[in-house]
Amino acid sequence: MTTIAEISITPAGAILKGRLISTADITGLYREFAGDYPKFFKMDSLCKLGFVAAEILLKDISAEEKENAAIILFNRNASLFTDRNYQATIRDNNYFPSPALFVYTLANIVTGEIAIRHKIYGETSFYVVDSPDTPLMEEIAAGAFLTSSPSFILTGWLDYDDDHHYEAKLKLVRK
Amino acid sequence: MENLILQLKNQIIEALNLEDMTAADIDDNEALFGDGIGLDSIDALELIVLLEREYGIKLANPAEGKEIFKSVASIADYISRNRKK
Repeated sequence: MTTIAEISITPAGAILKGRLISTADITGLYREFAGDYPKFFKMDSLCKLGFVAAEILLKDISAEEKENAAIILFNRNASLFTDRNYQATIRDNNYFPSPALFVYTLANIVTGEIAIRHKIYGETSFYVVDSPDTPLMEEIAAGAFLTSSPSFILTGWLDYDDDHHYEAKLKLVRK
Repeated sequence: MENLILQLKNQIIEALNLEDMTAADIDDNEALFGDGIGLDSIDALELIVLLEREYGIKLANPAEGKEIFKSVASIADYISRNRKK
């Protein structure tokens, strides 16, 4: 597999192809590199993180090429941050559950949000694993090239523990 | 009614995370769904929760929803006639 581009986003900022491009937080990155998708503000934190990483990575990729791409992501905490927030809305006896939070209590929603935004119709999957095990992640991505022949794959680690601990380490790879 | 409409607009902005919007951006009679503000089905559920939480209103007949949630003005009108708190 060949890596086309790689991005890393943590609370310290965003690094694209080895160069620091911004020290903004996730919403700041959205305003800097997207800014035209109001649905961003309705997303949970994991989706926002994946969304801005994908925005930056996919900026110069043609619509035609994106159509047949795949998205394969991995993390440790699944959607736990949002699960906790949702649980807080149903903790009291006289509770009002939040439908808008509930829809994000699944980690793989982020793959759908990215696919909708970029009109990606290929395979999307999300694996929950103990740690960023690079050989395992690459083996799974390589397997996708054998089964569905995507034009490229957006893949990597996307984990949101809390507002001070999150990491997106995503890349675009070709066969 | 004016105060209720303004309060409702602010509650909608907060509940639906309409981050880049202020109360002044929402016309009282503008369609909330479809071509207007562009709310979706999850937003509709949030509005139902908002009515119950803030005004003690439980929608007895879901079929009424389409008319009630047409605009901020129609929601305010429904609240003023049915509010329990």
